[in-house]
Amino acid sequence: MRPSFYIVERHAEDPAAPSRDEGFPRPGRLSRPKALPAHLAALLRGHAKPAGALLPFGDPRVDGCLGGGLPLGQLHEIGAAGLDAETAALPTGFIAALLARIAPTRPVFWIAALSDLHPPGLLPYGLDPNRLVLVRPSRDVDALAGMEVALREGAAGAVVGEVGQFDRTASRRLQLACLRHGSTGFVLRRWPHGHKAADREASVAVTRWHLTPMPSVKDGEEPGLPRWHVALTHARGGRPGEWIMEASDDATHPLRVVAALADHAPEPRRFRLAG
Amino acid sequence: MWLPHWPITRLSRGVSVSPDRPLVTIEAIRGVRHLVAVGEAGEAQGLSPGQTLTAARAVCPALVPIDADPLADEAALARLAAWCERYTPMAAPDPPDGLWLDITGCTAVFASEADLAQDLAARLERNAIPHRLAIAGTAGAAWALVHARKSRTILPSGEERAALIDLPVTSLRLDSGTVTGLRRLGLRTVRDLLRIPRAQITARFGALPVLRLDQALGVMEEAIDWPRPPIEWHERLAFVEPIGTPEDLARALGRLAERLCRRLGEQDKGGQRFVARFFRVDEVVPQIAVATALAVRDPAYLAKLLSEKLETVDPGFGIEMIVLEAETVASLKAPQTQLADVAEQDACDRLAGVVDTLTNRLGADRIFRVAPQASHVPERAVRRVPPLPVRQPSWVGDPAASRPIRLLRRPEEIEVIAPVPDDPPIRFRWRGVSHRVRAAAGPERIAAEWWRGRRSGTRPETDLIRDYYRVEDSDGARFWIFRAGLHAADRMPRWYLHGLFG
Repeated sequence: MRPSFYIVERHAEDPAAPSRDEGFPRPGRLSRPKALPAHLAALLRGHAKPAGALLPFGDPRVDGCLGGGLPLGQLHEIGAAGLDAETAALPTGFIAALLARIAPTRPVFWIAALSDLHPPGLLPYGLDPNRLVLVRPSRDVDALAGMEVALREGAAGAVVGEVGQFDRTASRRLQLACLRHGSTGFVLRRWPHGHKAADREASVAVTRWHLTPMPSVKDGEEPGLPRWHVALTHARGGRPGEWIMEASDDATHPLRVVAALADHAPEPRRFRLAG
Repeated sequence: MWLPHWPITRLSRGVSVSPDRPLVTIEAIRGVRHLVAVGEAGEAQGLSPGQTLTAARAVCPALVPIDADPLADEAALARLAAWCERYTPMAAPDPPDGLWLDITGCTAVFASEADLAQDLAARLERNAIPHRLAIAGTAGAAWALVHARKSRTILPSGEERAALIDLPVTSLRLDSGTVTGLRRLGLRTVRDLLRIPRAQITARFGALPVLRLDQALGVMEEAIDWPRPPIEWHERLAFVEPIGTPEDLARALGRLAERLCRRLGEQDKGGQRFVARFFRVDEVVPQIAVATALAVRDPAYLAKLLSEKLETVDPGFGIEMIVLEAETVASLKAPQTQLADVAEQDACDRLAGVVDTLTNRLGADRIFRVAPQASHVPERAVRRVPPLPVRQPSWVGDPAASRPIRLLRRPEEIEVIAPVPDDPPIRFRWRGVSHRVRAAAGPERIAAEWWRGRRSGTRPETDLIRDYYRVEDSDGARFWIFRAGLHAADRMPRWYLHGLFG
């Protein structure tokens, strides 16, 4: 019933992509490859530079890695380690900061099986809870299907989906839906307690981010502005990078870069305070 | 319509029964098992309802007794009534073994009432359902005729009196006690009953015999308990040959949607809940229902919503007729054509499209928006509202009170080390992991509304005063924790973790 496009391609510039033999879904489970308009095929293959709008971070250190800013109308994947893989608090704040600056008048679909998103908590990030349309599927599969529907109709400014398992085929479908209709998709990787599993195959998301908490600069005895160690682990057409960022009040730029980390090895502990 | 031996018919469907081994249903009355229903085969063997099972076994040793299940009989009867809605939307079961069909104005499709009856009889015949049919101007008369006459009777309106006058009083739907009483007085037929002054019958037997008589003769209206209210927005499509392929069904649905939407459009209406019912060759009627967030009358859109659910319909041996109804109808003005509104209208339509698709896939309560609610208790600060129409409530809260981005559905208890009872803890343990508190802000005191909940003595601890702290651990993760209740001399207050900050 659903059209399924399948593009035979490999990412030459993406070392994380699996080899053709291991991560390749068996033929027959998907419909035959169909001819895709040339510009879409090129986009999906990553040959052409995305022509769509960009959301600049306002800092050349980040925008340089992304080729000018976060590409809109594409699929992005955001994950976190440890406790945050389970609670998703950190990535939620990060996404909220981005969403506040993407199509501010249009609704945001937030698709999550768990019901712990607390809309008043989004206000400090500038995201208006009135924009939220919450969808509560019972399974990961439904969450992905729901994301595709929301992206495909093009009604939403952005679509966020909280999913655990996320394979290459699903990411392809979502990326295609983004490309065709211009909505931006965010996949928030989240696992229930003790169920975190490594990905067998990398998704085709245009960017992949990995977040770790950082101790904030204390305001007296109180915690200061939230601070994150943000790692851009994959950027199509760009290069990976790592920074320490803080939430910002700026109307156009979602986050403020506190420091760029020189190397790409994750080393958040360097900034840990003693005592 | 009378279905003699209905329990037996129900039980013998799909089972091959030999006439030598009649099925009977039995029921234990004070420890003695009696026959409740015997089929045609049983009657031929000399069995009759009310016999004890032992007596019946003596007459016919080969009988197969099955426990009577009046509820299942009734359910099967209701299903048959639903199937009969192919003839009229007004079809009701009349337990234990009858069906009412109000065919007023429904004969337009058939040449005459006789043709309709013939068609119905043929279909029942094909499904091996023994039946008797009668058509009359009143329900009472039809019931009397169907039980009294073996042949199919079609009684023109106004002739009830002549037709009923010679029938026995049993045909008036009276209970057996009344019938016995009437017989004892020598009142055997309706004619006898009509000769007696009404007041005397009422004094002796209550109001029922006179009421039934009046209802049968059409002097008095009779209300039948129809299972569904009649629906005005109703389109049907019958097929010469039964269809079954999904493509055919989808095409038929499209045609029906077009007709229904045209009618809705003529009156500036739109539907919010649609039901399509598929009348199969056998007496099963699968149905699919779709609901929309806003009233719609776009045939293509409606057909798309319905087609998405089409895979749940099992066509069986084929579908003879499809009925599409708009159950909930709201007024819907003709679309705006002014330029300024087009973009906004379009966005709203597309949003409604997503909402409808997801609602019909996942369920109605699974897609919603949120609105603030005037409560300081964090669990009650947000309420769900339908996704459409779009509202813009104000979320401006206390800027000093920061709220977590993730709120646990139920606060989880944590173990803490707090040096001073009124201070935030310096260390706590949550879900088996220890966190050292590096910075803390608070307390923010939140008390439950006094007018809510149970009496204070029996309230759960977390419903009392809570002192919330925003704490950051040595890794930089931020939590929202609270101390429940006040510090008392005899016990330490407990701590809970309620949320996480981004």
